[in-house]
Amino acid sequence: MSSEPERYDMEAGQMSADEGELERTLGFLEAMTLGGGTMIGAGIFILPGIAAETAGPASSISYAIAGFVALLAALSLSELATGMPIAGGSYHYVNRALGGLFGAVVGWGMWTGLMFASAFYMIGFGQYLVEPIPFLDGRVFIVALGLVGLVLLLGVNYYGTEESSAFQNVTIGAETAIILVFVAVGVFFIDPGNLEPFAPFGPDGVVATTGIVFISFLGFEIIATVAGEIKNPSRIIPLSMILSVVLVTILYVLVMLVSTGVIPFESLGDSPIPVSDVAVVYLGPVGVVAIVFAAIIAAISSSNSSILAASRVIYAMGRDGVVTDWFNVSHPRFYTPHRAIAATGGVTALLILVGLEVETIIALLAEAASFSFLVAYSLVHISLVVFRRADPDGYDPSFALPRPLYPAVPVLGVVLSLVVVSQMATVVVVIGSGIVAFGLVWYATYTRGRVVNEGLLGEAIRGKPAEPFRVVVPVANPTTQRGLLRLAAASAHANEDRGTPELVAVNVTPVAHPSPFQNVEAERFEHQRELLESAHDIAAEMDVTLRTRTVVAPDVGAAILDVLEEEDADEAILGWDGSLERDGNVFGATVDPVVRNASCDVSLVNLTNETIGTPVALIAPGHNAPVVAHQAVEFATVDGAVPTLLNVQSPRGKSDSGAEERGRSVVADAAEAAGLDPNEYEVQVVVADDIGRAVVEATSQYDTVCVGLSGRTEGSQIPFGTVTKRVVHDVPSNVALIRGS
Amino acid sequence: MTHIGELRILVPVDVSGTESPPLDVIDHLGAVEIVLLGYFPVPDQAEPALLRDQYGPKATDRLDTVADEHGNPAEVLVFTHDHEATIDRIADEYDCDAVLTTGRSTAVDRVLVPLRGDVNLDRILAVVADLLLAGNETATLFHSVAEDADPTQGELLLMGAVDRLVEYGVDRDRLDWRLSEGGDPQTDIVELGAAYDLVVLGETDPSLRERIIGDVLSAIVSELDVPALIVRDVE
Repeated sequence: MSSEPERYDMEAGQMSADEGELERTLGFLEAMTLGGGTMIGAGIFILPGIAAETAGPASSISYAIAGFVALLAALSLSELATGMPIAGGSYHYVNRALGGLFGAVVGWGMWTGLMFASAFYMIGFGQYLVEPIPFLDGRVFIVALGLVGLVLLLGVNYYGTEESSAFQNVTIGAETAIILVFVAVGVFFIDPGNLEPFAPFGPDGVVATTGIVFISFLGFEIIATVAGEIKNPSRIIPLSMILSVVLVTILYVLVMLVSTGVIPFESLGDSPIPVSDVAVVYLGPVGVVAIVFAAIIAAISSSNSSILAASRVIYAMGRDGVVTDWFNVSHPRFYTPHRAIAATGGVTALLILVGLEVETIIALLAEAASFSFLVAYSLVHISLVVFRRADPDGYDPSFALPRPLYPAVPVLGVVLSLVVVSQMATVVVVIGSGIVAFGLVWYATYTRGRVVNEGLLGEAIRGKPAEPFRVVVPVANPTTQRGLLRLAAASAHANEDRGTPELVAVNVTPVAHPSPFQNVEAERFEHQRELLESAHDIAAEMDVTLRTRTVVAPDVGAAILDVLEEEDADEAILGWDGSLERDGNVFGATVDPVVRNASCDVSLVNLTNETIGTPVALIAPGHNAPVVAHQAVEFATVDGAVPTLLNVQSPRGKSDSGAEERGRSVVADAAEAAGLDPNEYEVQVVVADDIGRAVVEATSQYDTVCVGLSGRTEGSQIPFGTVTKRVVHDVPSNVALIRGS
Repeated sequence: MTHIGELRILVPVDVSGTESPPLDVIDHLGAVEIVLLGYFPVPDQAEPALLRDQYGPKATDRLDTVADEHGNPAEVLVFTHDHEATIDRIADEYDCDAVLTTGRSTAVDRVLVPLRGDVNLDRILAVVADLLLAGNETATLFHSVAEDADPTQGELLLMGAVDRLVEYGVDRDRLDWRLSEGGDPQTDIVELGAAYDLVVLGETDPSLRERIIGDVLSAIVSELDVPALIVRDVE
């Protein structure tokens, strides 16, 4: 049992079965094997041949560059994924940030990209089966075996599998172990002569090859597409995405160095199963069998995760209305998204069949998939910038790129993605652009008529979003809540220039051991319900938006602090019974931690009269003075009064004519710092020897007194002056103690 | 010896099917608190949210129907890829002492309590004591010793367990015990269980995956057609 006190936020629906919770089942290991397992596929078992042909031994550099481009994308995606961990991956972030047009482009791009990738994996699967078996030969067999493999996969996915992650962990582990042995032993068989010349086709060859091998890194994205199913997403998503990209990059670079080091790159380039041809040199027939086994497992698991990811992307697109919901109807018996799976499989099968006619199908599929995802990642980088600039409500990523990684990562990411795309074969650019154009046409003809989604681009360009000005009011007592809410509504309205007024009334029910059953009796719920209902009525009278929250927690003070934090409150108004220094607390056990630790402005209000009337603010020099002055102006709007800013001076010498002047300048400074116009307040200066008595006498004339508390709290002490103490004890008016943030 | 007090039992129910699960047993357990967990198994291929969109209301209705039939206990509805993980999480979150599986019993008169050894023994006995004190069933404690082992060890275990239940306040007349020698415990439990209304089992040993209902238990539970109460090892 965790010792940490748990809270049940009833607003979130934890206690009712109305909605249904969604279990997050993927842990760190599952996320790593999902990401790593998808990446380690045909990309490393097939492409080394093609890569060696176009870049020579320097193709290891191509893998390193592709890995770096993937890492940049993984960094940007990590921030976005922890900000909104739900299904859809890149598509979802781009759709939110840049709107439906780009959403459609990326959604279709990702879906087709995943199908290209899936076809690529299955042809690789065919190659690794056909080549080692002497009586099988030729492309027909490769294509046929690829199709058979695909049909089996589709069958399994159509009928559905339950909780197969343990199986996946084992197979991916075996596959990785085989590659590690291949690399570890192979290092000793490198002939340095084979690595000379290192880059026979120059830097152009290296960059062009990057576009082909980029497909080998597609898997990390899958972690983001299943973000809705990952446990502890704020930690595991960034960790597994970044770590899997880094580890896989290292692995690929080593495989490529070993391959080109053991066999001259020219003969490597001729092989459709290059890794197996390398393994036979130093691991013999056993090595070949192991590599063929690993390659087959890799192809199947990569293809399988691509189909899985494709159905998540289609689900997310259907959810947002970018495509029809028809795909998202799940099978009545198997509960699988069978239409999405069948559609994905059908197109993938056609792509495999193209292999009968096109000799270079494998490189073509690899590049086309890479193209789609590179375009998607450029838009992801732009989306990150948009999210940062627009800073919408609820976007609060737990993993945020620190400076100077932001903006370096998105800027470099866009530039490098475009550089790689620009070096791709013309036919690929044509196909890729065709898919982008299809996305545009789709948006114009289908999506636009159905959903309006402009994204956050406008807000990002305007810079300043329409933020709420949020005042949080903890309520517990039906007799005082009206007064507190009136003050809060006045404060929120008076700050309209800082944001749309919004009140949050929160009621905390204290329990010793929070559990959905114990201690919270029906009676208390009833009380809570009435309390919050009447809060809604009051808010309607005040013409202000009100949300209510109910929290069950062992410690009321801590719960209020949590709510202030979650709501990103601008101001908190707390009721208080006027008691001081009782039971070892300054104001009270609940209030003290809030006053001490809240990061927003806090007003402690002791309401003794119904009337707020004309407030007076006690102004003394100090950084809290402007907050106090402003609060008095806010409170004055309740009854449409003009508040008085009061300063009390002790005379210097017998007849000090300058005292009045000094007082006025203290008030004027505070008012100016608070941004108040001179016609928004009256000034009163009292000159007296006994400051305490003068303050009490002067403030007693008003209905409501605002006094500042020092914002600086050292340790557990709340600094507290004798004048404040006298006001609290001796003034019969309403008293508000104000602590600036 | 610590008394648990009021027992809280988690009852997981698959809400994806249309048949209502055989749960009559919970009406005969006496004054225990029930948490009804409706789980909807989601295949790997589907996003859980997709099935919630489509089947959320239907699943809620089914769960409500089950709850209505059995005294309106607390309900939780979860869409999950892995219902065993969900059972674990909810049992933990709601602080449940045991998990009840469904089975055909319509009354609870006879309870079988197989004991493996000292593992989790305190919890199992405390739960059995609470169960017996809340109702009026009789219990048979059961232990199986290996062929070459000394049977007196097993006798001691069973007699000690009976004594402890008596100390909790259970009437000795309601208790007996049985020792089996040399059989396969798993088969013994399944065969013997057929003659009882409820079988009380201890949670699987904490393994790598730490499931309440692990592989061994789920094999027994699926063979048994009477309900099983699986006591959690929460120490």
